[in-house]
Amino acid sequence: MTAEGSPAGSPAIRFDGTSVVYPNGVKGLDAVDLEVPRGELVVVVGLSGAGKSTLLRAVNGLVRITGGDVVVDGRSVRASHGAGLRDLRASVGMIFQDYRLVRRLSVLQNVLVGRVARVPTWRQLAGLWPKEDVALALDSLDRVGLADRAYVKAGQLSGGQQQRVGIARALAQKPAVILADEPVASLDPVTSRQVMDDLQRINRDLGITTLVNLHFLDLAKEYAERIIGLSQGRVVFDGAGAGVTADDFAEIYGRHPTAEDVLEAQVAL
Amino acid sequence: MNSIVNGMVNGRPVPPSRVRGRVLAAVALLLLAGLTAWSAAGIGVTLEVFLNASRIGRLVEESFPPAWNFWPRLVKPLLETVQIAILGTLFGGIAALPLAVLAARTVSPSRPLYWLSRNVMNVLRTMPDLFWAMLFASAVGFGPFAGSLALTVFTVAVVSKLTSESAESIDLKLTEAVRASGGNWLETVWFSVLPQVLPQYVSYVLYAFELNVRASTVLGLVGAGGIGMVLNTQRTTFQYARVTMIVLFIFAVVLAIEQLSAAARRRLV
Repeated sequence: MTAEGSPAGSPAIRFDGTSVVYPNGVKGLDAVDLEVPRGELVVVVGLSGAGKSTLLRAVNGLVRITGGDVVVDGRSVRASHGAGLRDLRASVGMIFQDYRLVRRLSVLQNVLVGRVARVPTWRQLAGLWPKEDVALALDSLDRVGLADRAYVKAGQLSGGQQQRVGIARALAQKPAVILADEPVASLDPVTSRQVMDDLQRINRDLGITTLVNLHFLDLAKEYAERIIGLSQGRVVFDGAGAGVTADDFAEIYGRHPTAEDVLEAQVAL
Repeated sequence: MNSIVNGMVNGRPVPPSRVRGRVLAAVALLLLAGLTAWSAAGIGVTLEVFLNASRIGRLVEESFPPAWNFWPRLVKPLLETVQIAILGTLFGGIAALPLAVLAARTVSPSRPLYWLSRNVMNVLRTMPDLFWAMLFASAVGFGPFAGSLALTVFTVAVVSKLTSESAESIDLKLTEAVRASGGNWLETVWFSVLPQVLPQYVSYVLYAFELNVRASTVLGLVGAGGIGMVLNTQRTTFQYARVTMIVLFIFAVVLAIEQLSAAARRRLV
């Protein structure tokens, strides 16, 4: 599994003075300039309301960009509409805090949702998924160690397993980019690490550019090649994951980290 | 000695005057009596008619015992009544689903379509089923087919209204997940809206079926075939013992169907 149609050379994602102002006047992003090279695993940190979610949703056009642009895989998000936007979204997998699986459908059917943009609609409605798409979905499940649960109803899995099905669904898109919006915020510490391990392994094995929003500072430091700090819709920190200090975090958060900001309180920053 | 402090007498609250409430009640009663007298005079009900019990007594006398041995001639018409209801429920149930999705504000693909389907739904619901029976009778001739067409419209009206309300209250986060994978409108509805409304939708269809069995009997009275037609024939030829038998028979079958359907609905939701 490799990314479909990614022109080499250009960055995977480029934020070009990107601004997002919501219809209710709230500023989500404020002229963000940022480049994410191919294959990088970037963790975005910041207080809730800092614009982390908006940053991710600007990449696949789930929020309307009101200023500047985001260029994904050489394609302008702002200039993409209709079929073009759906095609762009198909090359960007997304993982959500609350998993967002269809609980009454099987795990396999949920992963096949990752193929919606590549399979004719009538085939989906008739349940006649092409063999190669089913094989791809099972492959993706195998990558997160859940191939044996393919025919179980998604709602019957544990939270951690459901999140890994979410990862498999994103993988089934054969994406150039994966966006993970607070993927471990609903999970316990042990499961959180398993999910982060999955994301890291997929990033390394398949070279898929990965953008992860995290609240926990220790997890961010542990998994990030690069950390981006957001505050009030602006990039206030951009540096290597390993070198981040408590003072850097204090700058991003506007206060010193507390026990609430780390997954395991005993892990010293 | 009474000591009055802060409107309290001897430390107890003084009950508020009840004159006002009593006057209002008297006015309301007078109004109700006036309305009754006006309506009774309008449709020619007099005290005399009420007290003329001899005709009622004769009617009861002729109606009992029921003509038990009449039942073999009722099986086929009653089956026809149920068949009319089944066809009406199936056709109407199928047609109601797309209409319901288009008429759900949060799911509908466009404003004009939403507005149009809303209005279609309202018009269908405003017209009584007898009107549709007459309309279709003039189109395809009196008989069971006109009956099932009338019930089709009635079912669409009931099921689409209830289902669209269910569709408006679904969790739209799942919808975002399918869109993020590049799904078009139909795919998004298929994988996120329908799985959430399906149990309620099936329950509404069953409920419509219960209503339809009863409505189908009434439609028979105006010539749509089935048990209602037999009932009408026996009534106009003063076979009251048979009429009793028919009513008992209908009662038993309608009750049985309602119980079965209600049991099925309880298991669904």
